[in-house]
Amino acid sequence: MSLFWIVIRQLAEIEAMAASKKVITREDWEKKLNNVKIRKEDMNKLVMNFLVTEGYVEAAEKFRKESGTEPDIDLATITDRMAVKKAVQSGNVEDAIEKVNDLNPEILDTNPQLFFHLQQQRLIELIRNGKVEEALEFAQEELAPRGEENQSFLEELERTVALLAFEDVSNCPVGELLDISQRLKTASEVNAAILTSQSHEKDPKLPSLLKMLLWAQNQLDEKATYPRIKDLSTAALEDPV
Amino acid sequence: MPATRPSSDLILHRLSSSDYEIKLKAIREVKNQIIGNRTKKISYIKLGAVPAVADALAQADADNDCGSNLIVQSAAVLGSFACGVDQGVRAVLDAGAFPYLIRLLSAADEKVVDAAARSLRMIYQSKLAPKFDFFKEENMDFLLSLLRSENENLTGLGAGIVIHSCETSGEQNILCHAGTLEKLISGLDGSISQRDASLESLATILQNNPEAVTKFAGLQNGRALGSVIELTKDRYSRTRLLACLCLICIKNSSSCYLQDIGIKTKLIYILLELLDDSGQVGEEAPFAFSSLVAGKEDLQKLAFEANAIDKFYSHLQNCALHPKRLEGIFLALADLCSKLECCRLKFMSLQVLNLLVNALTHDEANVRTAACICLKSVSRSIKNLSAGCFMNERIVIPLVRLLSDLSTSVQVAALGAISNIVVDFTPDKSTFIQCGGIKELVQLTKSMDSSLRLNAVWSLRNMVFLADKMCKEAIVMELTVSSVASLICDPEPSVQEQALALVRNFVDGCMDCVEFAFAEDGIILEAVGRQLRKSSKIEIGIQGMYILSNIASGNEFHKEAIMHLLFPQAENGSRSFFSQYLQSSDSHLRTAAAWVIVNLTALASPGAFGRVVKLRNVGIVSQIKRMVNDSCMDVKLRARLALGQIISFGDS
Repeated sequence: MSLFWIVIRQLAEIEAMAASKKVITREDWEKKLNNVKIRKEDMNKLVMNFLVTEGYVEAAEKFRKESGTEPDIDLATITDRMAVKKAVQSGNVEDAIEKVNDLNPEILDTNPQLFFHLQQQRLIELIRNGKVEEALEFAQEELAPRGEENQSFLEELERTVALLAFEDVSNCPVGELLDISQRLKTASEVNAAILTSQSHEKDPKLPSLLKMLLWAQNQLDEKATYPRIKDLSTAALEDPV
Repeated sequence: MPATRPSSDLILHRLSSSDYEIKLKAIREVKNQIIGNRTKKISYIKLGAVPAVADALAQADADNDCGSNLIVQSAAVLGSFACGVDQGVRAVLDAGAFPYLIRLLSAADEKVVDAAARSLRMIYQSKLAPKFDFFKEENMDFLLSLLRSENENLTGLGAGIVIHSCETSGEQNILCHAGTLEKLISGLDGSISQRDASLESLATILQNNPEAVTKFAGLQNGRALGSVIELTKDRYSRTRLLACLCLICIKNSSSCYLQDIGIKTKLIYILLELLDDSGQVGEEAPFAFSSLVAGKEDLQKLAFEANAIDKFYSHLQNCALHPKRLEGIFLALADLCSKLECCRLKFMSLQVLNLLVNALTHDEANVRTAACICLKSVSRSIKNLSAGCFMNERIVIPLVRLLSDLSTSVQVAALGAISNIVVDFTPDKSTFIQCGGIKELVQLTKSMDSSLRLNAVWSLRNMVFLADKMCKEAIVMELTVSSVASLICDPEPSVQEQALALVRNFVDGCMDCVEFAFAEDGIILEAVGRQLRKSSKIEIGIQGMYILSNIASGNEFHKEAIMHLLFPQAENGSRSFFSQYLQSSDSHLRTAAAWVIVNLTALASPGAFGRVVKLRNVGIVSQIKRMVNDSCMDVKLRARLALGQIISFGDS
């Protein structure tokens, strides 16, 4: 990302100048920042990339109309992907599997780990709904063969089946499997796999850019005192203390 | 919840229903059952679902909505049956679906085309897929049209066909001439899957083909090569690996490319870093590393400097390693330690040997083989051999056990390691003898498999090298004189050579050892003579000559026996096989032959004068005279030594 490298270069220049810890005033800093030219199109692309990857299809559509930025993916596929994600999030795993298979039958055939996690999520939902017998049968018929193929799957399966052994699952050591966060984890794994199958990067660029910003600030902190950004949501420069 | 097992043939009934809705629903049901699920695939295949789905595909009409829905779903089902299960590929091919799928590639409905292309791609990932004939013009047109397409599934299929079916250099060349390289290069700028498919098919076309590599490197003023180099820095690990493999193919085909030390070092670092990938890429990376450094000392040096051995070691310490990974790492270490002593010493100092010993008893035959190959490489170190690092129970016992392994490749690899380990320069080989090693080796010299015979005799040969009398006796007792004689006359020339080398090492040393050649009415010496007279192989001549030379260093009786073997009647010596050997174009053979004369004419022995007379009569002396100015220093020295001895009996 060109923006990032411009900032890094600036920092490097400052670093080269600073023998001891240098103090940079707000005025100087802002002047430097103003010298960095960033193309509006690049910013827009960054926003569009975020909306598309995260699946905000309506927002992406509106943003496209307003800014004229073309998304790098067919917006219709986002709707399908979101439907899959939503199905997992609401516990309809079987439905999600069918939808993924309609979208591209290769995804689950070539991604054993994801397939296992979806089946595991199915088992978790059965247990959550108190269908003990069905859960046991499902674990035996569908999941046990996968465990035979892969040691780590077997361990995960054992952990999941352990849910059945506790009366009060909310207090048992594997209780977190029943958390909503487990559904979200599985959902984001499916989301990433679909994106990869569409030759799209699975993570939006914006968060990693922000991570790089924090890293760059930390590096600079050792060399200089300057107005830094503390609150990423406002990006306000805060005067050095 | 659906039935967990395809319990009855009801599903077959529904798959062939005349009712569109029922049929479509049944096909979709099978699809969602089998995708990702190997067990289900196999049970549906056994049930006979594949022909039913193939029929549904064949009967559907791509030109109407219902028909194309049926096609899309049934093509997906067939593709899934073919994905990762060879049984499924066979069933799909047997059901005759293949030509239908090919035909559907030209359908108007893009969904149909995508589904058919995906299915075919799955089929082409299997070895069972039908071989694509690139030499048929219409086939090449078809392939080019796939590669030229805008549709990623079609270009992916094209690449898959190249990867599957391009094997010979003739096929590589015809693909080059037809312009596939250009098409594949344009795929390097495409999406992730296009790039990966292009890299893999480029590697297939460039492998071991200097002509294709030259053409590729010249394309777009070398920019094509530049793009591949650039892709070694890609953010996707699979792409990085494939780009490296492509460059390795280029480098191994013609050494004039990628000579720059920077790119060599870079390849090493990238491959070492790819080891950290937890998936398939990490499994394949050590194999790629192997092919990069195999036989190339400069790259092995660079890898050593990049701490490759430490890196492999730290991976080996993770005991839950996938067998494929273990195999790859041991093979990589084997190549790394094949030439350089510094690598072997590092290997020993890190105690990698302990992990290797564990791998000798691994469940997977491939891992056992790789561990043996690695041990063979490491035990080339004379320093470690002399220190007796390998001749101990911890290593020898499991190794000897592998000699009766069920897998031939394990046996051969174990023999390779044993061959080195028994050359331990210390006379004490009792560890090996005590654990029944000789018995096992001798057993293998009688194997039907010539590679086992070869390596077993080789091991024995090395074992006898500089061994003491007791060890030699133990071996003769087990092996028997008559089977040595028959190994000398083995149908395989390579086995003959090793058997002769075994005898050569046997008759080296004390007088008792020389007697070995005369045991049981001299059948061994007789066999040696027979081979020397009829063989045209230089290696066989060399080993035979050294046997004669070793025996000729014995007592009068021994020397006379050699004279008799070389010149049976008073025939003209210049036509004898020995005279031919003295004139051989191979300097090693000339040296070995000259040694025989040196030992026959040794001054201290009483019968030397008589032998010199005979040698002169058969014209050998004049031949030796001609050799004193030989172009090879070794030959020259031996010839002068022999001539000096001959002249001291008077030159007439």
